[in-house]
Parts: sequence; C-alpha cells; structure tokens
Amino acid sequence: MNRLLVVFLSLLVGSVFAHTNEHANLGEQASSIKASGKVFHESVSIIRKMHPEFLRHKRDKTLRQGVRTDEYSLKGCVSCHANKNKTNNQYHSVDKKGQFCSDCHEQVGVSLDCFSCHRTIPKEGLL
Amino acid sequence: MSKTLNRRDFIKTTSATTIGVATVASGITLTTFADTNKTPVTNEKRWGMLIDTNKLSEVDIDGMVSACQKEQGWGSEVHSTGSQKPGWIKKLKVKDKATGRISNLALMCQHCEEPPCVDVCPTNASMKREDGIVLVDKHLCIGCRYCMMACPYDARSFVHETLSNQKEHMPRGKGTVESCTMCVHKVDKGGIPACVASANSDAVIFGDLYDASSKINQTLKTVQSAQIRADLNLNTGVRYSGL
Repeated sequence: MNRLLVVFLSLLVGSVFAHTNEHANLGEQASSIKASGKVFHESVSIIRKMHPEFLRHKRDKTLRQGVRTDEYSLKGCVSCHANKNKTNNQYHSVDKKGQFCSDCHEQVGVSLDCFSCHRTIPKEGLL
Repeated sequence: MSKTLNRRDFIKTTSATTIGVATVASGITLTTFADTNKTPVTNEKRWGMLIDTNKLSEVDIDGMVSACQKEQGWGSEVHSTGSQKPGWIKKLKVKDKATGRISNLALMCQHCEEPPCVDVCPTNASMKREDGIVLVDKHLCIGCRYCMMACPYDARSFVHETLSNQKEHMPRGKGTVESCTMCVHKVDKGGIPACVASANSDAVIFGDLYDASSKINQTLKTVQSAQIRADLNLNTGVRYSGL
C-alpha cells in the first residue's frame, strides 16, 4: 500500500514539475537572448500569467491613441518567439501545433484568436 | 582645484556642463521620437488630404490604388465575389450631364469630423482618433456592417474569407469591417500615406489641416476646394479641388 502511495505521489510531483520545465519551443531569437544571459522578461511567471492583460492594454493604446512603442507589442512577441524550419529556411507560424504560442494554449485549453487577423510570422528581413 | 571658486570659473564650468547635457539630451529625444510615438495623439492636429482632380490622370489614380493594395495587403482575395471584394480606395468617374465634362476621383474614407459610421456602431469599434483619423477597432468589431450602410461614400468593406500572411502593421481578418486608415502606422512615425507618396506631390497633398504653415493649409486657403456630399455637414478631412 505504502509503495503504491509513493509511486502515485512521485507521479503527481513529476507532473507538476513537468510544467515548470524549460519551454521546448522558445523561438530562435528568444533562445539566443536567453543563451547570451540577457534578461528580457523580468519575471517569467509574471509574463506567463499577465501577457493577455499587457497585450490588451497595449493594443488599446496603440490603436486608439497612436502610442507605438516596442513594449508589449505583439509584433515583438512574434518576431522573437518564431521558429524557423531548418530544411526550407521558412518560419513556422507561432500558432501552429507545437510552436511557441499553441504549446501552452493547447495544454491549458485556451483558444487563441490573435492570429486570425495578426501576422503569424516575423516580417521578412526583420531578423 | 582651489577650494575657493571665483565667480568667473563657476559660470564657465556650469555653462559648459549645461550645454553638454542639452546637446546630449536633445540628441536622445530626437532619435527616440523619430521611430516611435510615445505620447498619445491630441486634437491639436487634424490630418487631411487635398486631391487635385485636374492633375490626376486615370493612370495616376490606378497607381494610388495599387500603392494602397501593396502597402496594406488587400486585393488578392480569391474566394470573394465582385461586390464582396474589398476596396479601400476606388477610382470614380463623375460626369457633368450639362457640359459632358468628366473628372476622375480617387475615393476613399473621407475621415469625417462627424463620422456617421461612428454614430451607428453598437460596440464602439468604429472610432475617430483625436487627430481626426477614422478607424475600425477590429478587436471590438462584430461584423454587423451598420457602418457600411451608414457611410455615404461606400468607403468600407467587409472581409468575407479567411486570410493569412497579412502585413505586419495591418491585421485583417474574416468577419470584420475595414477601410482606409490614412496609413496611420506611417503617419504616427512621421511618414505620409502610401497613395500620397505614389502620386505627384502637387496633385495629392497630405498634412495637418490646423497647422497654418503646412502646405495643405496654405493651399486650401488659396484654391477653391470642395467636400463630396458637403450637404451632409460631415466636415471631411479629404478635400477635392478641380471638381
């Protein structure tokens, strides 16, 4: 009985830690920033939890007031977190299965509607 | 350095530092304002356009339309039928029945001061910025198309099909209404709209209607110009001369 409990608990703990693992698909530029030791997002937990609010606040300021800064811009997210297909050197869409955005969103069951209008790959010649 | 600083030395050092700081500071502000707009737009400006129909040939207007398509990424919809196709800017032929005189117009959103599209929008998606540019907030647009019916200029269109690979600065999607944005993404960074850039600089003038030193303000003071459907009292931002 005790052994069973240990197995069960370790599975439970294991699954909790599985979520805190490194993001598998961080994206080309984001990975290189991370590797260089620079800090882009001050706290990973805050950006994970709060990014919808940051983006919503920014979108209203940009569209309605014409404030066009780089902070919390969706363009910035996409250009940093997009992955390239190694064989044909083309970008994968960030909302495609297994890519940065959909990776988490699928896991938590939240559908994503940014990319029915917004461009899913960085602008050509940007990177 | 001696402890007692005389008056002349004090003035010398302080003025040198002030000049230094001022030079550096002005350099910083100039560069940051050049590529990003950090402050909200105000109603001290009102963007407008003056189109001289006498100086525009049909080819010039076609050039303006294709410049708009290229800049904003519309016009390559494959599943939309004729009347469903978007038209942010159109070539229009008007004929005076009495004299038979034909003029060609480039017609787009007129960026009214009193926009009917904003009045009828149930979700506040159709809106006017402080500087007079009329836009659709597609985050709020529910695709009811009241604004399309309210617009006297038929300037708005509805996206009927799923799109991909949109322009980075111009999100477009199925189920929302869209129209000329006066290339707001360029204007906010100090640029001019794509259609204005494609045409002769005398034929289409873009600028701040309120600024007395701007070319558009001075030209409007000297030449006769008209608003289309001026009887509706919408006070449009796009004006025409030579009609």
